[in-house]
Amino acid sequence: MPAPKLIRDLSDTSSYWAAVWTMCTMPDVHVICDAPIGCFNLVATAVPDYTDAIPHIENITPSIITEQEVGSSGTAASVQRTYENLRDTGLLDGKNLIVVSTAESEMIGSDLTDLVTRLQPGARFFHSESLTEDEWTGRDRVLHWLWQEYGRAQAAGIAPESGLVNIIGPTYGCFNSAADLHEVRRLIEGAGGRINLVFPLQARLADVPQLAKASLNVVMYKEFGHTLAQALGQPWLHAPMGMRGTTEFVQKLGQLLGTGAQAAAFIRREKETTLQAVWDLWKGPQGDWFPTTNLGIVATRTYVDGLQAYLGDELGMPIVFAASRPLRPGELDNEGVRQLLHRQAPAFVFGSINEKIYLSEAGARYTNFVPAAFPGPIVRRAVGTPFMGYRGCVYVLQEIVNRLYEVLFNFLPVDAAYAQARSAGGAPTAPLSTRAGALPWQAEAKKLLDQALEELPFIPRISASREIQMQVEALAHQRELTEVTAELVTAVLAARAS
Amino acid sequence: MADVSIPLAMKQPDAKPCQLHPQSMCPAFGSLRVLTRIEGSHPVMATDTGCLYGLTFVTHFYGARKSILAPQLGTAELMAGEIVEGTRAAIEVAAREPGCQLIPVVSLCVAETAGLPEEMLPKRVGEAEVVLVRVPAYAIHSHPEAKDVALAALLRRLADAQSERQKKRLLLLGEVFPADPLAIDNLLRRMGVEQTITLPGRAIADLRLARSVGALAPLHPFYKETAALFRSWDIPVVGGAPVGVSGTYAWLKAVGALLDLNAKLVDEVVEEERERAQAVLQAQPLHGRILVTGYEGTELAYARLLVEAGAEVPYVSTSIAQDPLVLPDELWLRARGTQEVVYRKSLEEDVAALDKYEPDMVLGTTPFCSVAKERGIPAMYFTNQLASRPFFLSGGLAATLGFMNQTMGRSARYQWIQSFFDETEVADASA
Repeated sequence: MPAPKLIRDLSDTSSYWAAVWTMCTMPDVHVICDAPIGCFNLVATAVPDYTDAIPHIENITPSIITEQEVGSSGTAASVQRTYENLRDTGLLDGKNLIVVSTAESEMIGSDLTDLVTRLQPGARFFHSESLTEDEWTGRDRVLHWLWQEYGRAQAAGIAPESGLVNIIGPTYGCFNSAADLHEVRRLIEGAGGRINLVFPLQARLADVPQLAKASLNVVMYKEFGHTLAQALGQPWLHAPMGMRGTTEFVQKLGQLLGTGAQAAAFIRREKETTLQAVWDLWKGPQGDWFPTTNLGIVATRTYVDGLQAYLGDELGMPIVFAASRPLRPGELDNEGVRQLLHRQAPAFVFGSINEKIYLSEAGARYTNFVPAAFPGPIVRRAVGTPFMGYRGCVYVLQEIVNRLYEVLFNFLPVDAAYAQARSAGGAPTAPLSTRAGALPWQAEAKKLLDQALEELPFIPRISASREIQMQVEALAHQRELTEVTAELVTAVLAARAS
Repeated sequence: MADVSIPLAMKQPDAKPCQLHPQSMCPAFGSLRVLTRIEGSHPVMATDTGCLYGLTFVTHFYGARKSILAPQLGTAELMAGEIVEGTRAAIEVAAREPGCQLIPVVSLCVAETAGLPEEMLPKRVGEAEVVLVRVPAYAIHSHPEAKDVALAALLRRLADAQSERQKKRLLLLGEVFPADPLAIDNLLRRMGVEQTITLPGRAIADLRLARSVGALAPLHPFYKETAALFRSWDIPVVGGAPVGVSGTYAWLKAVGALLDLNAKLVDEVVEEERERAQAVLQAQPLHGRILVTGYEGTELAYARLLVEAGAEVPYVSTSIAQDPLVLPDELWLRARGTQEVVYRKSLEEDVAALDKYEPDMVLGTTPFCSVAKERGIPAMYFTNQLASRPFFLSGGLAATLGFMNQTMGRSARYQWIQSFFDETEVADASA
């Protein structure tokens, strides 16, 4: 029997969450989740509070599975009662009802397909396959299901209109989607396209047939949305990252929309305006740091591929590791990422709260953590922080450079007397010894120092070197030694690590 | 029978609204909050991925910066009956964490439905105790109650039965603001108490010492199972909590009597504290109507403090069930004008109270606070804002009243922002 599969700090949630976070973006939907109180609270309030910055998702109600439903009765009666209460309080007026299964309702084998179709005309049961599928597969399946159930038949008479473009993919729980969507829309319009539908985030369920009106589809994420794009039968593209990727995207849009000249002009203008910041940073002193600014990336495949292409291939920053979620074969899982970060953390880690925790465990205070994925509480509602498109190139690079400035600032010396005054409540009588280099170092001691510095990201090394030397020599003075020994260095390094 | 078909709910103002959206954090979270914060504790969660994602998310926000292990429990593993194997494998990995002394196995809805027999799990791996904690959300109902379940499970295993009883040692029970136990300890020592221990806390040693105490003092009213455990060990339980003027007075007296402290010394300290508390009330009295509607299980005690300070609290709601431990506070409140005390509440009940009482301020859950803010009413998320300041004794009274007064003083800002966004809605509608 193969060893059981273990999860360390899950990165991707289940397809039940995918269903809620996809369907509930549309105001003319009401979802009954066939769920215990917890599965309702976490997906509809506790987590979207901190990922999408919304106080709660209003168009979802739980059937409230309790011991009774689990033990004997099943959930049909609770769903029926929930439906009747919703109907009687008017909450279903003008809404399409969708009942969604959860891991627990699937666990007790509750299939409500027949019941739900009897509740009200048009009501549907969505079996979320929550015990099997992850959120990405789930989102992909939900988007396609919405088209099949609410769009395809009604769209029979709708002909695609040249120049109209759908954006497929933005849902709740997609990291940074406000800013990325804003940028992708700008790129499409810049290339000469007109936006038809942003689906599902800015659509109603009643709009689903209108998906057929677009002559081109842009799928925001590599994780999901492609099945729907395929089903719509029009040409489709993935949203781009990086300077090359974005340029190719705009060119391709121009080609497909028949607006080649406009697309070319847009690219030219972007190089003179938006992207000028990248060119200036490259020409300036900042660009010289790129070859020594190493990074690790854990994020969705969309971001991993995009950041790797831009920061790695285009700008030449060394990528220490890149692992996408959901995991592709050969990539590091969280266990692997954790071990790696515990051993040696790069200058930058793009990731979720999981990687942030591993950095905390490792005491990696020289590493900059850049939020780039869920899970993790973070507000990303401003439209000025994209990772995608040309503006994404500028934002990501600007973020890196500013954090390097921060690192430099934190390593500039500050007179130790202030810290002493703070802790002792008065000024020290004499300045501390700052004479690093005053004592001779034994070869073994120097070797230990060099090894310790090798472990650090590049920029902090100079300052850390001075800091460690001062600490070691202070200890030597304290012990009245005339020479720095390996033992002293070991003691100081151990104290710094704790 | 035709006349009885009139919808009675529409006619009777006091009828309960439909309970469509119960308000509680996922109940299991209470246990994770307690279990992840213990130094040397490395939890294993037996559950499906959706549950795991949500609970680790809130745990990493509110609990601890702690990596969490779980067996993969999907259709394949469940069909093959591999829950035990998977859980055991996760326990083995957790035991290798540096400093691991405790592995709580948190068994949630799906695992509980499938069945996870305790006797199939190891009791100990290496240096670590393995403790099974069963917290299916479908059976626990609220997250404060899951804290009780978790703590009782830990104590049953870890509390040392051989430890010598120290008559003047008191165990404080409840997750409170860190400065609170220090203040309480300080005052009690002046009354002759020799030591206090606070649970749930960060030290396993404190769990081991639990049976050495002279009495148990639950500061929160939902530690039902834990209190029963102490009673079964012949350790007496102090009622009430050191909240507000009268609550503190009665509690300190009760501690003095139960621990058999010097009555004269106790009276001196109690009187001093009463004077301090009264001075606080005089210095910063409350005016106005407040709804207290959290899901932490401590709402009645907060309401009591606010009423004592002069506020009108017509409505209190909580996620926990009615229980003898809460009853004294309920009776106290009802005797002083509180009209409704709702247990296992839903969003609909809170919103109905908002319509009915038109309060000046709301302490509530995030969905309810957002409803209040949409009406321009100052509102604070009970969980975040009240847990982050002292609450007990005169010091807690001062901190809490200061916060309430400041918040109510910001009422104009809440109205301004509400009307600012209201105008855009009007503009949208006319466009």
